[in-house]
Amino acid sequence: MTEATDLAERAGDRDPRVGLRAVAALRRLLEQLEAVQVRNARNQGWSWQEIAGELGVSRQAVHKKYGRH
Amino acid sequence: MFERFTKDARSVVKGAFAYVEGAGGGQVVEPEHLLLALLDREGSRGSLALAALGLGERRDSVRQALGAARRRAGLSQAETDALAGLGIDVEEIVARVEEVHGAGAMAGDRKDKGWWSGRASFGRGAKDVLERSLRVALAQRDRHIGDEHILLALTLRPGVPAEVLADHGVTHASLVRVLYGGGEAKAG
Repeated sequence: MTEATDLAERAGDRDPRVGLRAVAALRRLLEQLEAVQVRNARNQGWSWQEIAGELGVSRQAVHKKYGRH
Repeated sequence: MFERFTKDARSVVKGAFAYVEGAGGGQVVEPEHLLLALLDREGSRGSLALAALGLGERRDSVRQALGAARRRAGLSQAETDALAGLGIDVEEIVARVEEVHGAGAMAGDRKDKGWWSGRASFGRGAKDVLERSLRVALAQRDRHIGDEHILLALTLRPGVPAEVLADHGVTHASLVRVLYGGGEAKAG
């Protein structure tokens, strides 16, 4: 808890550690959001090509990351 | 390194795999799974140390806290607060995603059939914990790596397990105290 409070207090200052940690946390949040949305799209019958188009990445990239094999 | 693991330490590793491969887990063993498996141990050095710190009866509270962190994409409270500093309300995002996609949607569990086929693998974080447990054992001049070293390693590594343990009064310092008495030795 102390660490959390500490971080919150320093969120406004220029300590790079705070900013970098926030970015790392955001990336993890983003990864999870992406997984949820890709799975939903697949469940609704979307092709990898369509999903990749919306995400702005190549079909291979999205298939490699979420494909079944 | 595994040949130096005690029976209890091996059970923790096996237990962590069981958590992942069991009902709807993700496909990667994380430090959180090592802690969950540790909480299941009885009579081991690690579980006795936890009991000495008053965690005997509060194991479920730790499990719940781990579950809560998992539900918000595995983010610790410190990380959630860091994002709040950027104006990002993680709880709000999780609530909205769960509204549409169901409870636990952000937990990363792959419940749908055939999403993942194959054995769980040891994640980078869990590997890091085991490497640290080796260093902890060396620093304490212990010949074997027991579940207490895995526990010590978990408290040394920033993240959800260390944070949840600290919230329950289990820190590296308090563990060293109950395990080694005065505890001058410092682990890397």
